[in-house]
Amino acid sequence: MLYDLTIVKDHYREIAPISDFKVSRRSLLASTAFLALATATAVGPTGSWAAAGVSAEQRLALIRMARDIYPHDDFLPDEPYVEVVDSILKEAESNDDTRKLVMDGLSDLEARAQKIYGSSFAAIADPNKREGVLRSIELTGFFQKFKGGLLMGLYNNKSLYPKFGYDGSSWEQGGFMDSFDKIGWL
Amino acid sequence: MAAKFDLNDDSVVVIIGSGAGGGTVANELAQRGVKSVILEAGKTLSLEDIENDEWAMFSKISWLDKRQSAGSWHGAVNHPGLPAWIVKGLGGSTVHWAGVSIRYQEHEFKMKTTSGGVAGANLLDWPITLDELKPWYDKAELKMGTTGDVTGMPHLPWSADFKVLAEGARRIGYSKITAGPMSINSQDRDGRPACQQIGFCMQGCKIGAKWSTLYTELPRAVETGNCEIRTNCMVLQVEHDKSGKVTGVVYADADGKKQRQKARVVCVAGNSIESPRLLLNSESSMFPNGLANSSGQVGRNYMTHMTAGVYGVMPGEVHMNRGTAVAGIVRDEAHYDDSRGFAGGYTLEKLALGLGFLSAFLVPGPTGWGREVSSGLENYKYMSGVWICGEDMPQEQNRIALHATEKDQYGLPVPVVHKTDHPNDTNMRNHAYAQMAKIYHSLGAKKIYNLPAYPASHNMGTNRMSAKPEDGVVNKWGQSHDIKNLFVSDGSQFTTSASPNPTLTIVALAIRQADYLATQMKKGAI
Ligand SMILES: Cc1cc2nc3c(=O)[nH]c(=O)nc-3n(C[C@H](O)[C@H](O)[C@H](O)COP(=O)(O)OP(=O)(O)OC[C@H]3O[C@@H](n4cnc5c(N)ncnc54)[C@H](O)[C@@H]3O)c2cc1C
Ligand code: SF4
Repeated sequence: MLYDLTIVKDHYREIAPISDFKVSRRSLLASTAFLALATATAVGPTGSWAAAGVSAEQRLALIRMARDIYPHDDFLPDEPYVEVVDSILKEAESNDDTRKLVMDGLSDLEARAQKIYGSSFAAIADPNKREGVLRSIELTGFFQKFKGGLLMGLYNNKSLYPKFGYDGSSWEQGGFMDSFDKIGWL
Repeated sequence: MAAKFDLNDDSVVVIIGSGAGGGTVANELAQRGVKSVILEAGKTLSLEDIENDEWAMFSKISWLDKRQSAGSWHGAVNHPGLPAWIVKGLGGSTVHWAGVSIRYQEHEFKMKTTSGGVAGANLLDWPITLDELKPWYDKAELKMGTTGDVTGMPHLPWSADFKVLAEGARRIGYSKITAGPMSINSQDRDGRPACQQIGFCMQGCKIGAKWSTLYTELPRAVETGNCEIRTNCMVLQVEHDKSGKVTGVVYADADGKKQRQKARVVCVAGNSIESPRLLLNSESSMFPNGLANSSGQVGRNYMTHMTAGVYGVMPGEVHMNRGTAVAGIVRDEAHYDDSRGFAGGYTLEKLALGLGFLSAFLVPGPTGWGREVSSGLENYKYMSGVWICGEDMPQEQNRIALHATEKDQYGLPVPVVHKTDHPNDTNMRNHAYAQMAKIYHSLGAKKIYNLPAYPASHNMGTNRMSAKPEDGVVNKWGQSHDIKNLFVSDGSQFTTSASPNPTLTIVALAIRQADYLATQMKKGAI
């Protein structure tokens, strides 16, 4: 039943509106940036994703999905998302199970997008609608594979720590003796 | 100096596990001249192994052998293979622990009497009182270097993160607000340095400012020449003779080879999932329901505390990751007052998580994704958080059971860990969420996240202490009611969970147990 989209829509309404909190919903800008990426990568050198039997469009759908799983509109560029997607596609190149998981998952995702919105997944302009489609597959191994990869690739990625205002390892600098008790606004 | 005992030496005490309970018993016995062998399933660790990286340390030293979550708590869905967060390594969970060290309150040893009983809960009074335990609490605090009156060490300085909680708490009328007691050095003491506010206490303290058996009890026990530690040794079974006394243990050594270590006494201290599991796995024709289980209570009354997390996005920067992970406690709801809609009390403990853990736990499980998560994480440096820790009700059906078919890498049935909240737990959690909302709103929080329980770090009750043999597994010394030379030395002896974090009480009980055990052995009574 969880895979039934009507239920997912109900579920979605509970979690989507964050009224008392500033959320950047600049989907236009986000999708323009995304389009730029699409063009760039479409003409760029083909990577191992091609070797895994994934087309440029399919890879873009995966990147779109990745950005929707942990959306950071203009807060994060495409690169860390692309890295996660490409590393899974790299694994798919040599691992049949992963390849099957990705290819089957992707066609399922596209079939759902077509059925509900008559469009490919990445071409659905409204991020809320895309999230609705993703909610309907969120418990699949396919989705969880990317969610897990992103969790590590975005939030356990030392090169992105500064972006989030997280300091990371401190013992090498002797801890936070100089800053741990500083607070300006209280 | 390091002792080496023969497998056939049946004069030794075999101690299973090197954490808070096992490590303490070993050192206390060693100081009294009693010889012991510690069998520790995990590997040898040292300060060199400690990194300031949450997931790296988690994967390096956590107990990740197959386990199953069951019952109606959210973890059965969201953490299906990780019911609890426990260390498999030398020092046990004292490597990861945060250091909060609060004594149990007098009435918390008598919850059945205090509450008059709670429907659906298997409540029982402890067979000991606070008065009896007081001198042992003193010894435990001196041993662990707990900040406060007994050691004379001041509490730790207030971090920015704690100032946030404290100010909010003050605004809603709370006053029991302290940066301790913590078993973390606020001054150089006992050969260990003062805390340097490194901030990864729960990944292991890189400088050893926080007490852990890894670099206190264990090396001190070995130094006496009375204690041998064997790591990578997983005990599979406790054996007994025809008279029903235990005679030793069978374990898998580092090469996976089975060994039999003889023993005069066996102390089980594998934490509250493995300890009852081992007793259940040690069934025999004489003890068909498992060792020490004439009461049927082995594995039952599993408690984890009523826990939850609350994270708030503050109007200004907090940088909660800077400084001790906890060191900040509010105890205004820790008393007994059932007019609040629940028996027992709870504490609010400031708890900093790094970006890595917060990303996984802000909205845990497979459905935890989307803007709710990502927008929160974008505000990481504005976040402040607490962990709510309160008394949970013992219930018989909350238990460690053995899986009918699934086996782990040692060929032992996998433990199935059942946990379902009692309505008392739910009422308490909702009360705490509401109080935390008041606290954070009073500070102008922009957004508040209520987190459900994490995989259990506090595990208790599965071999509980009782005055009468029919009510529990061990007596007031942690000695099996059924088998005189079998002891339980960890948190599984707890009769009820009380509200405070368990380790100080585990250590106090372990010191007291070692004293009793050494005396009884000297007298020839065991
Ligand atoms: C992140 C975290 C934070 C915590 N913070 C606090 C806190 O602030 N305050 C507090 O009071 N408590 C805290 N705790 C809880 C505290 O760590 C535990 O209560 C305490 O360590 C339990 O002691 P124990 O002896 O029962 O088990 P442990 O310390 O877990 O030791 C058990 C040992 O037994 C070994 N073992 C298990 N089975 C076998 C077997 N069959 N053969 C051989 N060896 C075996 C294990 O490998 C392990 O090393 C925290 C725990 C965690 C994980
Ligand atoms: S904050 Fe203090 S206790 Fe915690 S890890 Fe750092 S030095 Fe150790």
